[in-house]
Amino acid sequence: MSFIPGHPVTAVVQRIEIHKLRDGDNLILGFSIGGGIDQDPSQNPFSEDKTDKGIYVTRVSKGGPAEVAGLRMGDKIMQVNGWDMTMVTHDQARKKLTKKNEDVVRLLVTRKSLENAVRQSMMQH
Amino acid sequence: MMQIDRLADMEEKLRILEDLNMIYIRQIALSLKDSDIQKKIDYEIRMREGACKLLAACSQRDQALEASKSLLTCNARIMAYMSELQRMKEAQVMQRVARRSSDAGPMDDRSPCKAKVAISDLRIPLMWKDTEYFKNKGELHRCAVFCLLQLGGEIFDTDMVMVDRTLTDICFDNTIVFNEASPGFELRVELYSCCSEEDYSAGSTPRKLASKLSTSLGRSSGKKMRGALEPGACSPTSNGGGAAILLPVPSVPGPKYHLLAHTTLNLSHVQDSFRTHDFTITGNEECSYWLPLYGGVCCRLAAQPHCMTQQMMSGCLRVKLGGEPQGWTNVYGVLKGTNLFCYHQKEDMEANVEPVLTIGINKETRIRAAEKDPHSKAQNICITNQYGGEEVMHTLAADSREDTQHWMEAFWQQFYDMSQWRQCCDDLMKIELPSPRKPAIVTPKQGSLYHEMVIDTSDDIGTVTDILARRIEEFDLRSQLGSPPHWMSLFDEDPPRSPHSHQHLPPHSPSPRLHSRCHRTPGLLSSNASLTSDSDSPTSVRPCFRQAWSPDSNSSSGRFRPRTLSLDAKLSTLRGRGYGGFRCNCQPPTASSGSPRPTQIALSCSSSTSSSSSSEGSNSQESDLGFSRPSSARRSLRNLRAKLDPRNWLQSQV
Repeated sequence: MSFIPGHPVTAVVQRIEIHKLRDGDNLILGFSIGGGIDQDPSQNPFSEDKTDKGIYVTRVSKGGPAEVAGLRMGDKIMQVNGWDMTMVTHDQARKKLTKKNEDVVRLLVTRKSLENAVRQSMMQH
Repeated sequence: MMQIDRLADMEEKLRILEDLNMIYIRQIALSLKDSDIQKKIDYEIRMREGACKLLAACSQRDQALEASKSLLTCNARIMAYMSELQRMKEAQVMQRVARRSSDAGPMDDRSPCKAKVAISDLRIPLMWKDTEYFKNKGELHRCAVFCLLQLGGEIFDTDMVMVDRTLTDICFDNTIVFNEASPGFELRVELYSCCSEEDYSAGSTPRKLASKLSTSLGRSSGKKMRGALEPGACSPTSNGGGAAILLPVPSVPGPKYHLLAHTTLNLSHVQDSFRTHDFTITGNEECSYWLPLYGGVCCRLAAQPHCMTQQMMSGCLRVKLGGEPQGWTNVYGVLKGTNLFCYHQKEDMEANVEPVLTIGINKETRIRAAEKDPHSKAQNICITNQYGGEEVMHTLAADSREDTQHWMEAFWQQFYDMSQWRQCCDDLMKIELPSPRKPAIVTPKQGSLYHEMVIDTSDDIGTVTDILARRIEEFDLRSQLGSPPHWMSLFDEDPPRSPHSHQHLPPHSPSPRLHSRCHRTPGLLSSNASLTSDSDSPTSVRPCFRQAWSPDSNSSSGRFRPRTLSLDAKLSTLRGRGYGGFRCNCQPPTASSGSPRPTQIALSCSSSTSSSSSSEGSNSQESDLGFSRPSSARRSLRNLRAKLDPRNWLQSQV
């Protein structure tokens, strides 16, 4: 998940479809995000590359919609419903996740374990 | 390709020229029998080579800037020495010519004394456009600047100062002292600047953005690119004028300084206080090294002529004190500055004893040799002064005619010096010698706890909270010695603080009564203790150990609440004061147990609150701070506060 300027960014991603939970007037997904291009990336405990200003999942509420859908803590969110999350501010990311008229959000997330798994499976063949 | 070949060719030629010039210079120096200047030139050339090598070798930007600055100074000095050499050569030739023609007119045998000239406290005001000054986004346009000061053959440079739009003035703390300046001196002050921009390839911009930018340059970046590509080496004609081809400057890669402004100061600008002088600005806004100068330079230019600081004449005298015709007193006279000090004896002067008589010698004084005293062989010297409207005359006599002559000569020289140095002779101007600079004390960077922690990717929040828990215990011990900080009172049982705490609550919080009753312990989640902050101040998220965690304390004892805190707690405090259920528990969580489930407690509290505050949703097991979505008003307030703290790594719940 490190970036080399000039080279395309590649990552192994997993699709996660979260169905928001309606709680009265609120729609909740059940996780927290951190990061953003306006945040200090060195404080991100989950990122491998401490200059990575992407959006990371910092918490997943147990039993919440996100956990049920397969989101894990430490995941990096690459896309939300087609919107890019690798180059957004924190607030922009939050807004894309919490649109009131959307009941479902489809995320593309990546994590180190995914990459390792894919690599391992490739090596086996 | 042709270009490169031609460039290499030219460089080759330049080098040959250089060598030839060096031989020529050496010859001149030898013929003048002046090895002094030649030594100086050699020294400067060696310095210059060293600076070139350093410039080529260094990787850090500030090193390169310093090396470039010394290179420029060396070049300037070499120019100055060479012009000096040329002048001396010319003078020599002229002299020979004059002698030959035996047309030497009466040499002016009186030359004014030299002086020590000091320039200090240079300050150059800047004039940023107000939009620039208050801009707080975008990269800081920085320039490295320094001043080059030249008087006669002496050239000094000030230290380098980095200037960006947060500065209103460029200040140079150096005091530069020139010795041996003549009254007609010209002190040239030049301001050199060099654009100091970070490379785009550094990690300051997001990589994706950087790659996008590499293909197209904006206006400001284009300027910087042009500046970097500019081949403008220090112009050889900038100093010592006219010696352009004598020693061409080798061009080296690296940052290059350009002349931004200059001015020339002379005797008329000398004053014992600060004065502002005009600055002639070269360059315009399009240059990369441009800085918006106000157009003036403020400095203190002081001069100490030798006649004011040194003893110009000393010897034994006889003074007629009082009106008595016979009352001659033997004194030891010292002519210094604007006074003739008369001591009893020479030893007194050395011992700093007060003089017996002090006669002022200034512009108003009139000295004349009196007619021959019938009683003595020598002439008397009459010094007349005006002391507040009254004329006072002192009569002195020297021991012999030659002495008298010497004294008269000294007085005339003194008058001449004073007329030449004008305002410098009114009073002695103070010149502070620059003291050896102390190395700047670098304070260790204050960082947040995150900077001190090393988090392995395999670790998770558990490690973090472990570290924090240990810290909290330390703090606990430490703080038990002293009185707890005043903010600890926030966590008192008593309600007096609760109105204060309420201000963080949304006005429509439905459960204020809970707050007033319960402790404000967020009955949280994991058993890991760590820090959190309960207050809303911008420092709230900084790891300050506001709550100590004592695993065995139970509830109301003392000020330390048993809190099971985790990183998440931090988020909750940012998030919602509306978590009535979480903010107060009717009983402290059983933190000592392994994995507490204070959720039930929380639930019980929350169940009595309305839904706008915490809601666990339909699940009863809940280990987190819940799903409740704070209202937008609260969120914007929280966001604002969180955003105000740059150290805060914002996390939002969705």
